[in-house]
Amino acid sequence: MRVARWLVAIAILLILPPLLPSFLVVVMTEIAIVALFATAFNLLMGFGGMVSFGHAAYFALGAYAAAILVKQAAWPMLLGLAAAPFAAAAGALFFGFFIVRLTHTYFAMLSLAFAQIVFTVVFKWKALTGGDDGLLNVWPPAWLKSPLAYCYFTLVVVGLAMLALHAIVDSPFGYALRAIRENPRRARFIGVNVRRHQLQAFVLSGFFSGLAGGLFAFFNGSVFPDFAYLNKSFEPLVVALLGGVQSFFGPLAGAVGFKILETYIARQWPIYWPLFLGAAVVFVVVALPQGFVGLLQRRAWRTRTAR
Amino acid sequence: MADPDGSLVLQVVGLRKHFGGVQAVNGVDLAVAEGELRAIIGPNGAGKTTLFNLISGDLAYDSGQIYFRGEEINGLPPPELCRRGLARTFQITSIFRRLSTLENVQTALLTHHRRHHNLFRPARRLYRDEAMVLLDRVGLVDQAPKPSGILPHGDQRRLELALALASEPQLLMLDEPTAGMAPRERHEIMALAAGIATDARLTIVFTEHDMDVVFAVARRITVLHQGAVLAEGTPLEVRGHPEVQRVYLGQRRGTAR
Repeated sequence: MRVARWLVAIAILLILPPLLPSFLVVVMTEIAIVALFATAFNLLMGFGGMVSFGHAAYFALGAYAAAILVKQAAWPMLLGLAAAPFAAAAGALFFGFFIVRLTHTYFAMLSLAFAQIVFTVVFKWKALTGGDDGLLNVWPPAWLKSPLAYCYFTLVVVGLAMLALHAIVDSPFGYALRAIRENPRRARFIGVNVRRHQLQAFVLSGFFSGLAGGLFAFFNGSVFPDFAYLNKSFEPLVVALLGGVQSFFGPLAGAVGFKILETYIARQWPIYWPLFLGAAVVFVVVALPQGFVGLLQRRAWRTRTAR
Repeated sequence: MADPDGSLVLQVVGLRKHFGGVQAVNGVDLAVAEGELRAIIGPNGAGKTTLFNLISGDLAYDSGQIYFRGEEINGLPPPELCRRGLARTFQITSIFRRLSTLENVQTALLTHHRRHHNLFRPARRLYRDEAMVLLDRVGLVDQAPKPSGILPHGDQRRLELALALASEPQLLMLDEPTAGMAPRERHEIMALAAGIATDARLTIVFTEHDMDVVFAVARRITVLHQGAVLAEGTPLEVRGHPEVQRVYLGQRRGTAR
């Protein structure tokens, strides 16, 4: 039954893209990338109880690593993309070493501070990053250049990454991570080295955020310093909140909702988009603290118990 | 300074800890032999919980020594002490509330067997049977699939006991295991802990406010008063101790039989 449901989902994803108008193929690709970024972020927030306000740092490190290697060092695109998560994980290891020493607000603020440092370095180091002008013409090779080909490519990469993240959440590592979220003190007394475990989660989250960044670099064809800016850091937070941080697929649902709303509302009334987004976040936080997925689960539970 | 005595599971020598101007633990000596069921009693503020926190590595102390199975454990963090065989529970129930009862114990077992860094194996199936055995021992088999946070208080205390037992400890420290329980339940859980201790040949040190419970199960009792040991001995000796009667038992004649 569960396998059948998965096969249907995969079949739909495979059949759908050629049937969509080309601009929706582009939207779908972006949804997949945002979903990966938000799911990686939610490994920390939903499962580890650590709220980062600076995850754009790892997205940007991945995007810039891929772009710089392809543009400045003439690496092939696939190698550049493969390097992206490792560059981001290295950054996450270094920054995370300091960040996981703190908790709650201080954790959030220090993660934000490090992201601002990444932003400043990217902005100022013109020779390597192009500064404010960014790096342009970061395109994939000819066989991936069409939106449809890149959409399929992204779906496969994101699908595999989501599978890995799902396995991590359900693994012994994930159980211990949830135990830390619930009760760090008790976790210490059952033998978990809490700081070390949190740092490992931080690095894993950075790794997959960097992969999302790398995918986005070739999707966008260029990279800019805003990839490391505050707005980008809040994107996975908003997406995860919309979809629900308590469930693994919440951020995925949030990404679908967020991007579809953005596509239709931001294009129609660009100046009202932030107002609308703000109102949507307030509504979700107040009325649906478990997000959309939480709402669905609650309804499913009700129908099951009603029977 | 005394040499560590290898036959003792726990030996505390001249332990001191102050918070600001308050000397919470003021030169405590304690020696607990293998297989003992030791109660530590004393009025509120006597330093029982602080002593527990110092021994279990939760707090750093000012001076003194702690030996666990003959080895000095100064400054070792809780995860390391847990690996060496020291487990504890807390006065305020400390469990993983949004995990199921079964997942709580599974997580403790995974950690004890040092499997908690594994990233790709589904944890659901690991140590399931072992976890059910532990839950059976504390009487929670029926509650296994429920989120532990919704269990009745007494069951949560039992779960915490199972979490502590999952690490197969040699020394189990229970900080007021019956806090907040109904009188009948109190005797049940202490009898349960005592039974497990005998079966697994582990040593238990516990604090307790209910004198009925203390005198029913403890074989030796240490009385703390103002951060220092006031008396120590068998329940009979402690009950007959004039100082103890004056500072402690005398005030609670109602609960002391």
